[in-house]
Amino acid sequence: MSVLAFVVIAGMLAVYVLLDGYDLGVATITPLVARTDREREGSMQSIGPFWNGNEVWLIATGGVLFALFPVAYAVSFSGFYLAFMVVLWLLMFRGIAMELRSHFPSAIWHQFWDACFAGSSALLIVLFGVAIGNLLRGVPLGPDGYFSGTFGELLNSYALMVAALALAALALHGVAFLVMRTSGPAAERARRLVPVLWPITLVLYIAVTAATVSERGIGWNWIDCIPILSLASLGAVLLTSLRKRERVAFGASSLWLASLLFQAAATMYPYLLPALPPGHGGISIFDAAPSPLALATALTVTLAGLAGVIVYGTFALRQMAGKLTVEE
Amino acid sequence: MDVVIADRLQFAFTVMFHYLFPITTIGLAPFVALYTIEAARGDEDAARAAAFWTKIFAINFAVGVVTGIPLEFQFGTNWAVFSAASGAVVGQPLAMEGVYAFFLESIFLGVLLYGKGRVSPGLHAASAVCVWVGSWLSGFFIVATNAWMQHPVGYAIVAGGRIELTSLAAVLFSPFAWWQFVHVVCGALVAGGFVVAGIGAYYLLSKREITLARRFVDAGVIVALVFAVLTVFPTGDRNSANVTQYQPIKLAAMEGLFETQNDAPLAIIGMPDMHAHALIDPIFVPDILSFLAYGNFHANVKGLNAYAAELWPPVEVTYYAYHVMVGLGTIFVAIAVLAGFLLRGGRLFQTPAVLWMLMLGMPFPYIASEAGWVVSEVGRQPWIIYGIMRTSEAVSPTVVNGEVVFTLIGFAGMYFLLGVLFLYLVLREIAVGP
Repeated sequence: MSVLAFVVIAGMLAVYVLLDGYDLGVATITPLVARTDREREGSMQSIGPFWNGNEVWLIATGGVLFALFPVAYAVSFSGFYLAFMVVLWLLMFRGIAMELRSHFPSAIWHQFWDACFAGSSALLIVLFGVAIGNLLRGVPLGPDGYFSGTFGELLNSYALMVAALALAALALHGVAFLVMRTSGPAAERARRLVPVLWPITLVLYIAVTAATVSERGIGWNWIDCIPILSLASLGAVLLTSLRKRERVAFGASSLWLASLLFQAAATMYPYLLPALPPGHGGISIFDAAPSPLALATALTVTLAGLAGVIVYGTFALRQMAGKLTVEE
Repeated sequence: MDVVIADRLQFAFTVMFHYLFPITTIGLAPFVALYTIEAARGDEDAARAAAFWTKIFAINFAVGVVTGIPLEFQFGTNWAVFSAASGAVVGQPLAMEGVYAFFLESIFLGVLLYGKGRVSPGLHAASAVCVWVGSWLSGFFIVATNAWMQHPVGYAIVAGGRIELTSLAAVLFSPFAWWQFVHVVCGALVAGGFVVAGIGAYYLLSKREITLARRFVDAGVIVALVFAVLTVFPTGDRNSANVTQYQPIKLAAMEGLFETQNDAPLAIIGMPDMHAHALIDPIFVPDILSFLAYGNFHANVKGLNAYAAELWPPVEVTYYAYHVMVGLGTIFVAIAVLAGFLLRGGRLFQTPAVLWMLMLGMPFPYIASEAGWVVSEVGRQPWIIYGIMRTSEAVSPTVVNGEVVFTLIGFAGMYFLLGVLFLYLVLREIAVGP
């Protein structure tokens, strides 16, 4: 049952990355592709109806993690106290920028919030990348099970490399979404970013994979086939983007991100918080889990609720789908 | 500053600032939904009303969401020992809030805000209803979480001091939770009623938007009247009964009762003197506290002196917050009854004095709601989980006071900015009008 709980948490986080990933990606590339006030507004409008629901996947994961793995929730959140607070502030800034920009018709007001929107989103991607990087690498844990490192140690070279990969991959994801969802000059400029972002993403992926293998060592099993899927889907992103198959390209980008997250989860399993150096234990899904009754209750309630969310979320998404034309 | 105090200040500040916005969304959601439904039926005035209140709702919702983000994670960041010990229980309603309420609210708010003209009027109205349901569900789950901390049920303590869930149903259907939830919703509806009536009164006094303004005052006054009464009785009374039964020390602090006595009087006003252990300059109504607490004018009510002082909550804060809440609640009933009579007689729209009262009354239900939570939370001290875990034992072992003070200052700066922006945008929408 702890394994199922791990799958639920990893799955919810993966959905969060796929969905809010495009919001963050669109925001990150907006300064590069949208030149006028109207174009920047268009790129915000492209995610307007969705971003809040997407962000809820993160908030809800926080709640579910609390119920399923209270010890991991407590140790990781208090251990990475400052990093967490910075993430919270950035999430708040992104939300404020999204919600308040359109309420006042002034170019200066718009420019300020556009900058906050892009800056906080790009920084969020970097910090999420750093977080995943440290989870893969392992973190120093004291004898009482609480984090014993410092904020500075979290910014190690491996974690920063993962962060760079996250930035490139989500920017590409944002391009795929913006091109699919809008048409106009900004979408055309976004299309021209693909040949730039794609090779960077590929190089970073290979570098991170190599670094992970050298850090964690390698034991051959079926999970090692996943990088083939990753490379194939990343290739598909390029081919379908060049052929202007926009929906397929977005799908391929989603598959590529999902394959990355699957590799990350498989590398960590069965630890929620692996210790550093690798192989020295950590907080695993078994020693951080509550009683079977509590787990079964939380899992049933969560899965039933999420099934409902997927049904009405898909329905609402379809109602709101379609292309926005952003003209000059 | 002691780290426990810093943690408590931070939680109190972030949660009290946050709660200002859910009061409005819980209280306004039914208005938005009902106006949107009437609009879908072809009522053009209702369509303008719906568009106006949806805008106000959306600004509140946005600030509510943004300030709510830290709360979901603060249990883990600042209260790690509490979270690790009790997550199997309190995590359940919090997870349910995310999965059942937040998605519903945010996905359909997207349809409500961006879907006009894209989706059918029927679906647009249904979205407004989903947002309403979502905002109330969210309120329920968070109150259920709090009610468990006030009166733990459905749990067992196992080896290592961990608190295990034995029954989710017991947690969700705890009578403490239900009366607290209904009381909270009634309080929010009083705020919603006062806001709708107050803004209507503002337009009437400014002699603009007369047709819509009359509808606002009409609807707002009726809602305020019904729910101001329900806030006092039965919901307020039942909450007091729960406190009397399960948290008698909190009751004594709320009432400023130091000496245990038969025929206990109710202090209408008075200032607690923490050295003399008595009220300064009190005005008493004889026997009423005995009656309110136990339904018997001669019942024995235990005072604070009957308990060890280390089990007392901060008496002054609890006492004043309770008196502010009850005093304001009584005034709301009086204003709403007066306005209701005039409305029924058809004279309210021509009575500027009462319209002024409605307009200036808008902030006070917020103060009363916040004061109510202060009674509930400060009155629960020294416990974080009543009778099981002390607040001082619950804080994160790795987080030191310097960090908490730093982030508290960060939150203060951020929320100040947010508060200014919020007021500016809402006042601007009101000035622009429907």
